[in-house]
This record gives sequence, structure tokens and C-alpha cells, in this order.
Amino acid sequence: MTADQIRFFSLIRREVNRFMKIKRQTLGAPLLETFLYISVFGAALGSRIDKLQGVDYVVYIIPGLIMMAWVTNAFANSSSSLMQQKFQRSIDDQLSSPASPMELLLGFSLGGFLRGGIVATITFIVSSFLVDLPVEHPFLLILTFLLIGFFFAQMGVLIGLRAEQFDDVAFAQTFILQPLIFLGGIFYSVALLPEPFRTLSQFNPIYYMISLVRYGFLGFSNTNIALSFAVLIAVTGALFAFNYRLFKRGYKLRA
Amino acid sequence: MSDSALKITDLKKSYDTGVEALKGVSLEIKPGEFFGLLGPNGAGKSTLIHCSTGLAQPTSGQIEIFGHDAIDHYKEARKAVGLAPQDLNLDWFLTLEESLDYHGGYFGMPKKERKERTAELLETFSLSEKRHERTRTLSGGMKRRLILARALMHRPPLLILDEPTAGVDVELRLELWHYCQKINEEGTTILLTTHYLEEAEQLCSRIAFINEGEIVASGTNAEVAERFGTSSLEDAYLALVGRKELSRAKVEVEDEEAL
Repeated sequence: MTADQIRFFSLIRREVNRFMKIKRQTLGAPLLETFLYISVFGAALGSRIDKLQGVDYVVYIIPGLIMMAWVTNAFANSSSSLMQQKFQRSIDDQLSSPASPMELLLGFSLGGFLRGGIVATITFIVSSFLVDLPVEHPFLLILTFLLIGFFFAQMGVLIGLRAEQFDDVAFAQTFILQPLIFLGGIFYSVALLPEPFRTLSQFNPIYYMISLVRYGFLGFSNTNIALSFAVLIAVTGALFAFNYRLFKRGYKLRA
Repeated sequence: MSDSALKITDLKKSYDTGVEALKGVSLEIKPGEFFGLLGPNGAGKSTLIHCSTGLAQPTSGQIEIFGHDAIDHYKEARKAVGLAPQDLNLDWFLTLEESLDYHGGYFGMPKKERKERTAELLETFSLSEKRHERTRTLSGGMKRRLILARALMHRPPLLILDEPTAGVDVELRLELWHYCQKINEEGTTILLTTHYLEEAEQLCSRIAFINEGEIVASGTNAEVAERFGTSSLEDAYLALVGRKELSRAKVEVEDEEAL
């Protein structure tokens, strides 16, 4: 391994080590949360709900729950890790090293990306044992998940970077991320909503993401797949470029 | 090898708040020197160090470390510097061993070398028994030692110590002094900021006084004292901060007159 590779790997290793050390909180809790959703919405309530677009309700919501696991964990890890290291000033050890802004940005975001990926993968595996979960378009599904995970890891980095106090991250999580997720159509089909909520949902990026994920698993979608995918690539690229600019400027990192 | 370990030319730094922390500082430290930077709180010592190590972005000016640009193309310059900051900025989640290992990793050290160096430094600073404990469980003195060990991890030819003995007991202070003298004799260049004038007198071959963002005097201890027309570094410092009345020599004379 070259010195540059060792450095990059060390930055990621540090982030993974952080969440593995507190895995009850970082992996255990989100897994329990996801299975509570499946139990309540799928098993308990789902048996009383008609099929949605031809599939059982529990099967209809599981793709969204897997996506939600990746989204929330990628966001939570990137934002809290960056914020904590900023507040402890332990981040100075990385900032005064030869690491470039790109290496630092990727280090912080890939930690969250991987944590989200682990929780989502375990959720997928266990769900596959519980229900008959089809995977109609695996290639598109994997690509979509990778982009969504990366997008929310970047979002977490942005919020963690801007945070001036502990509740800045909690605020973004509770008042922005959570409503977007719940109103994006994870637990229901947006097509069932009355106006103006149906139209309003189309301004929610989660709406397009869940459509892509549901298409990857179940083979049908409420949105134009090519357009949704193009939008996902564009917003992920734009957010990454924006964060890179902030890291290059040293925004809220270097005095 | 370059003629200078650290060469700062006309360095200016203004913060967003409008505070002008450095007003065109120029400073040169030769390889192998033990250099002291002294000045009152808020004089610009930490800002100068932060600009040299990438923690602050200079407004203008140049910084070279062993001939390498430390501002824009900083990779080689950063490799050559070890920083022991004033704050105890350890990561609470990491063990002592991990703190050193990751630091070595950021500087591109291979695994085997990191392992050996970590064991060596923990032994040197009497921290081996605590190696698997998280850093938050350490006492203040132990944290201070770990921070110095971390700065030395990648064997930097230039070591920057920002008030390394602030708040440590006499025993640890002497221990740190001995260690710094030893590595300086072995060839490591050291830049030290301190409030303890005795520390600068004991350790440093050259010093500079910084006040309100400007270097006001530099040279050997005797040269700096002479520049202020005093016989000791302490009196020179008091002259610098405008508190000559606190001079111990003056107080002693007054006491004798009172008798």
C-alpha cells in the first residue's frame, strides 16, 4: 500500500471503528426500530389493509424501510461523528495531517455510508426470511441504494459541518429528515393521496428515491424511472461538489 | 537539506470577526534549533502555529517548512511537522493505542512500523499499562503525555509544542523538559510557546517575543533582555507587556529600602 492509500484507509477505519465500538446504539437500535415498524405496520396493521398495487402491504413497505435504514443511519453517523470531533477538536489531528480536502470529505462520509449499508443489508436479509420479497431489478436497485446512501452521508456531513451546538443535528434530523421520509411515501402510495398533497409530494426528493427502490424490488413505480434516476445522480453529484467546496475552503473547520 | 526548518515571511491573519491576529510576522528557525516563542495571551502565538500546521488559513504571506510550501501545496510540509496543541484534543472514543495508530496512518506509516512505534512511545511516556483504555479515562498529565507521544508518532523533524507544560505538575514538567532536550540533541527542531520564562531560559537556544500580532524582539535570551535594557528575560517580558512595576528586582530594592 502507498502512503496515500494508508492515509485514506486510516480515515475510513477510524470512522468504522467509532460506530462499531458503540454498536448497540449505532447498529442494534436502528435494527430494532426497523423490525418494530415491520411488526406494527406489516404484521399487526397490514393484515387489515388491502393489497397495494397488487402486493401485500407488508411487502409494499419493506423496500421503503430498508431504504429508511440506510438513509437515517448514513445521515446520523456522518453528522454526529463530524460534529463530535469538531467539538472535541480531535478533528485537528486529521486537519493538520497531509490529508487532502477530498480524502477528509470521503473519510467522514464513507463511515456513515457503510453504517447505513450494514443496517440496510441486515434488514434486507432478515426481511427475506420473514416475507417473500421479490428483487425484480437487482442492478438498478444496488446502484440506487449506493447513490441514496452516499447522498444522505453527504447530507449528514453538511449538517455536521454547519452545526454550532449539539441540537443543530437533532433539529435537522427531527424537523427536516423525518418529515421528508414519512411524507415521501414509505408507508403508503402517494397515488392514494388527495390533492394538493399528491402534487406537494412531488417536491420531496424521497418520493423519487422510494419510487426507484420500490421499482428495483417490486417492479412497478409511480414515477418515470429514467427521470428519477437522473435526478438522483444530479442531486448527489451537486451535494458532493458543494461539500467538497466547503472542505476545500475549510468552512467551519479551519479558522 | 533546506537552510530553514521553518521560514515565515510577512504572515498576516485576520479573522472573520475583524481581529487582526498577525500583522506581517517574519520568522526563521534553523534546523536543529530549540526556539521559544513568548508573548502574553492573545499575542498571536497560537495563530502563528495554527497557520503553520493547516488549522488556520493565513490571509497573506508565506510559510515554508524545510523548504516546502505549507499553505497551498502542503503535503510534504505537513509530513515534516508534529504538533502538540495547547488543548487536550484527544478523541474520547479511541484507546491510547488507537490514537497513536490512526495518527501514524494519517501520515502514511505502514502497519508494522505503526505498531512498533506505538509500543515504543507508550513505553517512553509510561503509558503502556493504559494502552487499551479510552483516552477520556486518563488524568490531565497522562493526556498531556499522550498528546506529545502522538505528535512524535511519525518522527517529524520539526516538533511544535504549544504550551506543553500548562497545568502539569513539577515532576511531569521536568520529565517533558528532559525528553524534549533529548530529542532536540538527536536532531529534532523544536518550536515551543510557553508562558513560563524559566522554561524558555532552560530549553531554548533562541527566542522571539510576539505582541499584538508582531514580533518585537528575537535572538538569544541575553540579546532579547538587552534589547529591552534589562538584565533578565522576565524583566524584558514585563517591559514588553508594560508591567515593569512587577519586576522582582524592583520589588526587592523597594523592600530593602523599606527596611
